[in-house]
Amino acid sequence: MNFELGDDLELVVETARKLAESELTPRLRESEASRAVSEDLLGSWEEIGLAGLEVPEAAGGAGLGAVARVLVNEELAAGDAGAALALDPYGPAFTAILEVAGEDAASEFVASLSRRTARALLIMGEDARVDLVSDQISIDAPWVAADRADVIVVLNGDEAILLREGFTLERVRGAGLRAAGASHLRASSAPIAARWSNSEGAARARSRARLYYASLLIGVMRAACEFSAAYSQEREAFGKPIGHHQALAFLIAEMRIAVDAARLLVHEAAWRVDAGLPSAVEASSAWAECIDVSRTVGPDAVQILGGHGFMADYPVEKFMREARALGLLCGGFDAAIEEAGRELVNSTHPLSLTTHGAN
Amino acid sequence: MEFSIDVDVQRRIEEARELGAKEFRPAGLEADRNAAPLPVDHPFFERCIERGEGRTRWQGLNPPSARPAPTRTVVGTLLVMEELAYWDRGIINAIPGPGLPEQSVLSMGTDEQKEKYLGPFLEPDRPRWACFAMTEPGAGSDAAALTTNAKRDGDGWILNGAKCFIGSASRSDWLLVQATVDPSKGRGGQRAFFVERGTEGLGGFKIEKKMGLKSYESTSFTLDNVRVSAAHQLGAGGRNEKKAGFKTAMQTFNAGRPIIAAQAVGMARSVLDEAINFAKIHDLTKKDRVRDRIEGIARRVRKARMMSVRAAWLADQQRANIIEASMSKALGAQIAQESASFALELLGTMGGAGNHIIEKLYRDVKAMDIVEGTGQIQKMLIARSLVGLPR
Repeated sequence: MNFELGDDLELVVETARKLAESELTPRLRESEASRAVSEDLLGSWEEIGLAGLEVPEAAGGAGLGAVARVLVNEELAAGDAGAALALDPYGPAFTAILEVAGEDAASEFVASLSRRTARALLIMGEDARVDLVSDQISIDAPWVAADRADVIVVLNGDEAILLREGFTLERVRGAGLRAAGASHLRASSAPIAARWSNSEGAARARSRARLYYASLLIGVMRAACEFSAAYSQEREAFGKPIGHHQALAFLIAEMRIAVDAARLLVHEAAWRVDAGLPSAVEASSAWAECIDVSRTVGPDAVQILGGHGFMADYPVEKFMREARALGLLCGGFDAAIEEAGRELVNSTHPLSLTTHGAN
Repeated sequence: MEFSIDVDVQRRIEEARELGAKEFRPAGLEADRNAAPLPVDHPFFERCIERGEGRTRWQGLNPPSARPAPTRTVVGTLLVMEELAYWDRGIINAIPGPGLPEQSVLSMGTDEQKEKYLGPFLEPDRPRWACFAMTEPGAGSDAAALTTNAKRDGDGWILNGAKCFIGSASRSDWLLVQATVDPSKGRGGQRAFFVERGTEGLGGFKIEKKMGLKSYESTSFTLDNVRVSAAHQLGAGGRNEKKAGFKTAMQTFNAGRPIIAAQAVGMARSVLDEAINFAKIHDLTKKDRVRDRIEGIARRVRKARMMSVRAAWLADQQRANIIEASMSKALGAQIAQESASFALELLGTMGGAGNHIIEKLYRDVKAMDIVEGTGQIQKMLIARSLVGLPR
């Protein structure tokens, strides 16, 4: 049992945190309005070497795993979750290829894309209407967090399907995460560039995708908690800081508990992915938990700021919208609890302290 | 980051599982049925002593070098506690031994006190208990408000007051009683005194009737001009005398919060297994609402466990864990209660019949949000750190 990150991961986290604090947070409204992060920022992110976080070292990446991913995502999303998506050229599309198709295919995948400017999108079967007819695919996804895409990876059942052409992205307003863009994705009988089938790999790919978005959600919620807690110590009402009224003090404590617990589930599931242990239920649970608590943490942060929270002068309204939007991705809450629930009712002592660590 | 369990701890968990299934569960059910703690002469306690339970961790004044104290992590102890509570939480508190006050005696008692009060627990000839008496009818969470007082009487002290909800009090060889020597000093004015069973003025023992956790006694008693010598004051004359006041009490509480959380987790896990079992027997696993409830329970158990383990791990690293310990305690108790409540909904009127173990767990688990600092007290502690909530 060890909750320590270790020196290497500490360094990665620190790097991501500094970038988020110095570059993402100060520009969060600007990035939202321009639906993009700056070229400079994309450049420096690539130069630091974190753009290819999970890409194997042989393919010029950092060769890190799911734990590193969730840690980095939290830090970036604590600044701006949309920007975190915009900064990642491959997203969970890469880990889907890696898990379902293997390392060679994954290396080929990244070699075909620019590490600075690429946008690869992952579509989960649950998030869109997907029709497969022989070697062609039709997709209708009402919202993807991007204004453009170089490639699309569809994770559908046991399959990963790669598209390089034949799809369009039509801009929509987007409920949140606008720094990454927002579009309606359509493909009509588009040619399939490649497809792979692997049930275990697909399960792991789903776990990693869920943890990817779960960790972004943790970052947004952390920011919402920290901002509202700090505000509650400055703003006074009825003769004392509002955070010193027990109603708000308890609310703030509850928000912190909720986010801490959800984070630990994300970390544990990510550790299992990296350790090669079964992770489907754990990742589904972690994702479901993040969504579950975001239903209250986002709105509660706005509530603490009262009328000010409703205004765009403060970031909490953005945190609330984006937490909600994030939770709609990757099959959302229902697919996650469905997957976990089915497995749980088929087991006898699902959480007994016997195998694979504390779960 | 690494969340696997050590081989040694794993072995202890397996022993706990065996013991729990064979001894704890039946004993807990018996006490619940009888609505009374197991009597002092119950064979269950004899077997505890035969297995080597009920002993002190104290090594004696001249510890034989061949018997080094085992170094056990808080994480290990916590996971074993989770497992034991899975089988029956109440019985954990009923096990003989120096119990709650042991740590205070070890860290603050004089050598004479250790010899006198922990000595009989080195190789106990029979089941023996001791207890720590702080809570009073008018002072629970606000322990600084307790009114049991100790007044100087020549060389010794005279104690007066009333205590309640004290575990195993009526069967204890001695009671470590928290009392104030100077109410104007609040916590700083409190001291702890050893009161031996049979001391004149100690009496009025009343074993309370409880909603759950019936397998251990929660007892009230009175101190009516109880005269004890100076040597009965914890740490008396020793170098620890000054700090052996309120800190005694709080120290007993300190390491305990994640462990209470883990026990709540164990109980919730018991609820989970029983709920799954019930769903299977009654062919309910195909129903969404049933699976959703089970998923919700499992997810809650999982997160509460991670919170308790983290707090314990921090303690093992000797890092400050005040927030984490309080968070784990507040969360663990709450989720265990919710889990039992959800599971009873699965049972429907079969739960209402009052003879299913989930119904027992529902009654047992409420106490977890009350002992070792209520959920509200934990939130106050957390809020002090997060937003500087004034005392």
